[in-house]
This record gives sequence, structure tokens and C-alpha cells, in this order.
Amino acid sequence: MTDLPAQVAAVLDRSLLPSIIARGAALRVVGVRDGVATLELTGSPGAVVPLAARIEAQIRAAVPGITGVRIVTPGDPAGPEAAATLAEQARGIIDREINPAIAAHRGRAVLVGVEDGWVRIRLDGGCQGCSLAEVTVRQGLEPLLRARLPGLVGVLDVTDHQAGTEPFFSPAKR
Amino acid sequence: MTAPRVLLLVPARTYRAADFLTAASRLGLDLIVGSDGALPLGGRPVVPVSPGDPDRSADRIMAGTGPVAAVVAADAPMLILAAVIAGRMGLPHNPVDAVAAACDKAAQRRRWAAARVAQPTFRVVPAAAAEKVLRQAAAEVGGPCVVKATSLSASQGVLRADDPAAAVAAARRVREVLAGADHQADEPLLIEEYVPGPELSIDGLLTAGALTVTAVFDKPWTPEGPTFEETLLITPSRLAEPVLAAAIDAAGRAARALGLTHGPVHAELRIDERGGQALPVMLELAARCIGGLCSRALRFPGGTSLEEVVLAHALGQPVPGRRGGRPSGVLMLPVPRPGVLRAVDGQAEAAATPGITGLSITIPLGQRVQPLPDGDRYLGFIFAEGDTQDRVEQALAAARDRLRVVIE
Repeated sequence: MTDLPAQVAAVLDRSLLPSIIARGAALRVVGVRDGVATLELTGSPGAVVPLAARIEAQIRAAVPGITGVRIVTPGDPAGPEAAATLAEQARGIIDREINPAIAAHRGRAVLVGVEDGWVRIRLDGGCQGCSLAEVTVRQGLEPLLRARLPGLVGVLDVTDHQAGTEPFFSPAKR
Repeated sequence: MTAPRVLLLVPARTYRAADFLTAASRLGLDLIVGSDGALPLGGRPVVPVSPGDPDRSADRIMAGTGPVAAVVAADAPMLILAAVIAGRMGLPHNPVDAVAAACDKAAQRRRWAAARVAQPTFRVVPAAAAEKVLRQAAAEVGGPCVVKATSLSASQGVLRADDPAAAVAAARRVREVLAGADHQADEPLLIEEYVPGPELSIDGLLTAGALTVTAVFDKPWTPEGPTFEETLLITPSRLAEPVLAAAIDAAGRAARALGLTHGPVHAELRIDERGGQALPVMLELAARCIGGLCSRALRFPGGTSLEEVVLAHALGQPVPGRRGGRPSGVLMLPVPRPGVLRAVDGQAEAAATPGITGLSITIPLGQRVQPLPDGDRYLGFIFAEGDTQDRVEQALAAARDRLRVVIE
């Protein structure tokens, strides 16, 4: 197979980057190894991470030699101990302060993991697919965690919002 | 230098929240959100507001948030509240009565008639109008006509009728739609002349009443009725420059005739060619930017989004002006029939179509869906870019054809 990174970059440029840039982020190809393309994310993670499954599907459909896509963020990874501590602290705040509140909308936030200072969360129930999920994350969850956890770089919402079957508020076109 | 503080009013049911929050983040704003839906969590607690009670909501904002540099409504339900709050804070804003007129299709028609803005011949009939009154109104505007609810948007509650008898039946259906949408039962109906011809939408920003156009979309697949699903929008427009200039002039005059002076407008027009000349005719105008996810088809210099342009304008910064450059477009996917949405297959293939830049299915599987004139949602949005408008249109059509919507 000829230059896989160039082919992935071409798909990014042609079909994916414009809408990603419009949402406040950017992706570049770091490399391809064993069929897995590594893309580096800069800018707003919330603009890309929820689309990760679609980005992978599109690249795999367009470049047959690609079997998987990995999205990474720049920066040195923190040590495993720091990540474990951050995860424990974030989980405690989410369980004690966030989930009792969003339960009023049948919602729940779940800590998926911590990597390089980024806390990955998934929204379930009424929050999954809700038209105000972004408000919940950006005005509630993320600033609360930032205020309490100095080691936090940011919050990534990795929810597949398109798969939400019972959003508390469904969007409507006005 | 401290970040400008902006109050963003976000209604519960909107497609617009994420794009405005992303824009605020990119601009580094100190954002306060007021909403009738979001929960007041910790962090930057959302201020609860009720768009149906603007005075009390404004009291709460004034008491709780402190001064802000701008107030922006993310979507239509928050427009009047935004004007009330901005007025109290002494910020540039539209007069409240102008925003209210823009939200009411009958009031809009009356103001345009008084200002001699080109528009369809129309009659406003009371909610309880007898059949005879409806027939007479339809006969007066001439067939075919369009029967519209005055408070709904996105083509909900809009039906074409080809003769007075059909207008009576259409009025009955529109009242059913209003009842289903929990709107006031005593709302009058609008009966207006059906204007054939190319349709376009104009987006722009008003500054002291002067309109700077940010985008003009052609709407080449607009149906001729009985319902009027929004489908394809392509920009830049392919209309001849003199026609386009006349349409932009009409949109600006229409906005000013409503009393609007500041902030975004989204105008919809048709080009009436029946008299041998291309006459822009105003269909509707809203005091907001383009709805749904359609703004994602637009990018301004530096990759700036329309929401960034709107927020920057609210802070007194200049507007970049009409978008040129590479053609782009968006295809809204109407609900084809009522039922439960079971699957939208072929998404990966559709998204991989050359020229397609994005695909978003926005109704979760398992939800009950309704087509127009009853529904107010679209299945999703497909975005494309291309070297020409024709290629954008072809890409969107090809992507749509690869989707298989299963509704049971």
C-alpha cells in the first residue's frame, strides 16, 4: 500500500477538517502503524471526541489499509499514579456533586478515564443526546472539576449523543 | 486584559447550544448562560429564566449576574427576553416590540404592508373564522394560496391550498398542528398568495439598522407544496448580481420596517418572475441567525464560525461581510412519514461521499417522528463543500441517496 499517512491526510482535508475546524478544533496525522492511524487533536476536544466513531468510519471507508484510528492530544503524559489520583478525585466529585443534580433530568455522568490530565466522561440517560448537554458539561461539570482539581487539563465528553434514546430535551429547528 | 463577559440565553429545545458554547470558548469569553432548561449545577451555574415571563426573568438576571458586555439569544424562544435584558442594561439591542413583530407572521405582514415592502397578498383570519370567511380570504388572495400558523417556524403549520375549499381544509389541519404544538387556540391564521419562483435565504447582522450580509443561500429544492420542507441550501448564491442586490436591499428594508436595528437576521424570499421581471418578495424574516445546524456550512476568514461572528458583533466588533470563496451547502433531511425511527443505515457510505464534510443524524433511534406540517424536527443534516455549487449539490444528493431511513 502506498503512503497511508498521506491518504489519511487527504481524507481529513477533503471531508473532515472543514467541519472540525468550524467546531473549534483541528486534527493532523501523526502517523500510521499496523493499520492504526494516529491523529493529534488540538483546540476544543469537545468538538472532536463525540465524532470519533464517525471520523474512524469515514477514514476506514476511504482508506482500505486503515483498520483503526486513535486520537491523541499533545503534551507529555502524566504518570500513572497522578492519573489514578486525578481519576479518583474526579469520580468523587462527579458522584457527590454532579450526579445527584442531573438525576433530576434522568441523567448521569460516568468517568470513563483520565489520560494526560484530560478527564473523559460519558453522559447517560436524559443527558445523552440532550440539546443542553454541552451546557451541562461546559458550564457545570468542567468548571467545577477545574476549580477543585488543579491537575486537570480539561474535560472530554466522549458520549455518542446520536445514540441517546431518551434525551431530556430534544432539539427542534426554529 | 479581562475577558468580555457575555450573557448567552439558551432555550431548552435547540440545536444551537453547542455551536454557541464552542464559539464563546474560541473567543475566550467569560460566559454566563441563562436557560429555561439547563440545571444550575456548580461551576458556572446556569441562571434559570423563563422566556414566557421576560420581566421577572430580567429581574433575576439583573439581580444575579452583574454587568455584561453583551446579551445574545442562542435561538428564537429567547429573542424577546434578550431584548428586554439588553434594554435594561443599556446595551445595543432591538426594540422589544420589533422582536415581537418578527416572531408573529401576521404582525410582520402588516408592518411590511405599511412600509410597502414587496410581499405576497395576504389576509389574517381569526382563529374561530367561519368557513365562509376562510373561503372569502382565500378567494381574495387568489389561488393557489398558503395557509400558515402565525407563531410557528421551520415550515411547521404551513400548507398550500389550490382553491378556497382546500384552504378551509388546510386551516383545519393547521389548527390541529397548533393544538398539537401546545400553542394558543385563539391564534389567528395567515392566508397568503402562493408565490412561485426561486427561493433564497439571506443571513446578516444589523448595526444601527444597516444590514451587513454574511451569507446568501439558494434553496433549489424547495417544494411547491402542499408542505414546505426545508431541504437544500447552497452558498454563494447563483442568482444574477442585480437580482441578488435587489433581494439584499429588500431584506434590509424588511428588517427596518419591522423596527429591527441590531443583531442577526435571517430572511427568506422568493424571486417572483411572473411579471416578466425578477422581483424579490419577502416570505419571512426572523431576528436570529440561520436555524438548526445549518450555520456549520459556513466558515469565515480564519475558520471563524457564524456564531463567533454573531458574538463578536454583539461585542461591537466589525462583521466580516458576505462570505465568498469555496461553495458549500447543507441538506436538511425531512421526516418522510410518521412512525418510530428505527434506523438510518448507510451513514458511513454517505459520509465518505466525495465532497461531504459532515453528517449529523439528530433524532435518536426509537423516537416517534412526524413529518410536516405537524413535526418540528428534521432527521439530520448533511454538509458539503466543492469547487462549484453544482458539485456541492451533486455531493449532497449522492450522500442522501446512500442513506436508508427505516421508520416503522
